[in-house]
Amino acid sequence: MRQQCCSCGCADSKGSLADLPVGTKATVVGISPQSRGRKKFADVGIVPGTELLIEAHAPFGGLIRVKVMEASMALHKDDAACIMLEKNGGCQR
Amino acid sequence: MSKKFRIVLAGNPNCGKTCIFNVLTGARQHVGNYPGVTVESKSGSFTLNDMEIELIDLPGVYSLSSSSPEEAVVFEELTKKGIDLIVNVVDSTILQRSLYLTAQLAELHIPMLLAFNMSDDARKKGLKFDIPKLEKYFGAPIAQTVGNTSRGVQVLKEKMVDTLAKLDDHGMPMLSYGADFDDAINAVAEKIDALNIEKYSHIPSRFFAIKLLEKDSSAMKIEAMKSVWEEVDAQILHLKNKHAIIADTFMADRRYAMLSGACHNAISFSQEKRREISDKIDKIITNKFLGFPLFLAIMYATFWFTFICADPLMGYIEDFFGWFGGVVGNVWNPETLPFIRSMVIDGIIAGVGGVIVFLPNILFLFFAIAILEESGYMSRAAFVMDGVMRKFGLQGKSFVPLVLGFGCNVPAIMATRTIESERDRKITIMVLPFMSCGARLPIYALIIPAFFAKQYQAFTMWMIYIIGVLVALIAARIMKSTLFKGDGEVYLMELPPYRMPSFKSLMLHMWDRGRMYLQKAGTIILLTSIVLYICNTYPEKKDFSVDYDSKITEVQKAGGDTSALENAQLAEKLEHTISGRVGKTLEPFFAPIGFDWKITTASIGALAAKEVFVAQMGILYSEGEADEESEGLRAQLVKHYTPLQAFCIMLFCLLSIPCLATLAIIKRELNSWKMAFVEAGALFALAYVATLIVYQLGMVLHIGTKMLQ
Repeated sequence: MRQQCCSCGCADSKGSLADLPVGTKATVVGISPQSRGRKKFADVGIVPGTELLIEAHAPFGGLIRVKVMEASMALHKDDAACIMLEKNGGCQR
Repeated sequence: MSKKFRIVLAGNPNCGKTCIFNVLTGARQHVGNYPGVTVESKSGSFTLNDMEIELIDLPGVYSLSSSSPEEAVVFEELTKKGIDLIVNVVDSTILQRSLYLTAQLAELHIPMLLAFNMSDDARKKGLKFDIPKLEKYFGAPIAQTVGNTSRGVQVLKEKMVDTLAKLDDHGMPMLSYGADFDDAINAVAEKIDALNIEKYSHIPSRFFAIKLLEKDSSAMKIEAMKSVWEEVDAQILHLKNKHAIIADTFMADRRYAMLSGACHNAISFSQEKRREISDKIDKIITNKFLGFPLFLAIMYATFWFTFICADPLMGYIEDFFGWFGGVVGNVWNPETLPFIRSMVIDGIIAGVGGVIVFLPNILFLFFAIAILEESGYMSRAAFVMDGVMRKFGLQGKSFVPLVLGFGCNVPAIMATRTIESERDRKITIMVLPFMSCGARLPIYALIIPAFFAKQYQAFTMWMIYIIGVLVALIAARIMKSTLFKGDGEVYLMELPPYRMPSFKSLMLHMWDRGRMYLQKAGTIILLTSIVLYICNTYPEKKDFSVDYDSKITEVQKAGGDTSALENAQLAEKLEHTISGRVGKTLEPFFAPIGFDWKITTASIGALAAKEVFVAQMGILYSEGEADEESEGLRAQLVKHYTPLQAFCIMLFCLLSIPCLATLAIIKRELNSWKMAFVEAGALFALAYVATLIVYQLGMVLHIGTKMLQ
């Protein structure tokens, strides 16, 4: 499923929110139908087409902090794995 | 005064709604619970240009989609009749997301006023709004406010007056979900219209049609609308075929598309300067390496503030009740109603006073919590600690209440309200009593110096606390994999930008909790004080084994010390009372864990408040008024008990049922008598078994079984 995004090989252009590194700006392309959080995510703006910025990972793992529609939201890695993203503008580095 | 208006405040979490509520109503608030759920309900009143206004602060929600108890409550409240105006508070720095709720509120066709809050921050960010355009779009006037100042709310008040003057003439929203979708909505709405449901006659059927198409659980629960389900499913299928949509969130997608269209025309950015300072602070506060030490430092500061700063005030209150008891004793002639007199002085004033002494602790603790919460740090603490807590079946938001439990379990249990996940909240509440509270400290402070060598004292104290923490974590882990098995709710937490807390809302928050605590002191504690006093006094013993009175007079004549005799008399009296008899009856049951009847009665007394244990032991060992500093009582204890027994007492006090106040608050927060009883039973059983094992093992292995004297 994954594909190389650019020649520097820094990261993949597609992946779940749980896989992509901190600092990535990406657009939501889909949310797995199995995800329990679909409705809740929709309520805070995580729907296909929205842009996310992965801001930080929590010190002891588990939580991921993303900026969505100007607000910072923390969500759990397992739930984040259901959110599929596509990186904006290819390689960021 | 003319008509009374009913206004509800609705908005996202962290939008500054409560701040506006506080500024508008001041201290004229009523805080309670919605029936059946642990969602806080807040209402207040104020007057505006001679109009009497009742203001209801709804819980903060992101949507009306009823995926949480809060959202269900909001849905329920908003569809009730009798609302004159909705004031929708919107964080204008995150307008697009906030308007998602606004769009749903607009569909209710109840007159609405939009408060674009934090407008100063929005301006700093370089956001510009085309207000007339947005007003027309949502069919509602807009006031640009700054929530935490009275001046900033003034604009809102003026708009409110205007809006209330022409309620019948409110605007209509121009919300369109797109041609095919609107057709589907209309088709369902027509069917609902045909049903003619009286209860919802004030709300357009379009609102319910949209909710049914979203398969919203609150709307699906409405019995009267079940007959239109068929139509709903048919329409969804139709849309699915035509637009390749995903069924459960297609309305959400359409709504965002609709809003982004609206915002595109009405919002402009002049510069890209977003939340810069807040983000910079977070680089440090939630840093992978610094985050945890900083968290510990902030927790320590909270503790220090709560316990060290409040200490002098507690001294004053203690002095006051001592003085007050003395005054009552002087004024009240001992001859008139001697029974009531001593009950008031020794029972009520001493008992209730002993509890009110902790009021400064409670106030300071909640002041500190309010700062942490309103500044936005609390959600960072949860973010930092989540990974650790999750290993034990808890979550980030459990951590702060658990730490607060070291102070007092009661406010700590109240603090669990910040945990949205019902299951995690329940587990946190149920393990909280293992956090050794301040009231248990006097027990350890009495026993440890008596039985343990100086170099081991600090270690023993530390060990007691650690045992509590370990038991709490293990219990949480076990509960998670047995009692509360299965997947929890989806974790989603907002980290709002750091904000300066306003002094007024800090004070209000503190007062709220303080008032609750005082209410408790005036009810539960008052009653138990009376009961305990009666149990410790009656039935009165008239015939003693020795004629103490004449002996005392004899010794007095000779100029000797009568205290030994007086104490012996007191002890004999106590053995005769209800407490003494209960203790004697239960002695065989408690003997296997090393307790004699005296420890047993003291443990029962400790149910009212843990400190009572020390006081009760003091009375029973005839030292009269005892506190943890009393050498005499320690000497007595060393004569009567082995170090093993002493350790068992501490272990039992740590693990067994906390005070009745804690049980009462557990009952209230879990909303179930059954759970409170189960909790009490489980704690007692655990304490008994653990102490039994330690005592019996100690006996077999001869650890600490030798009397020190």
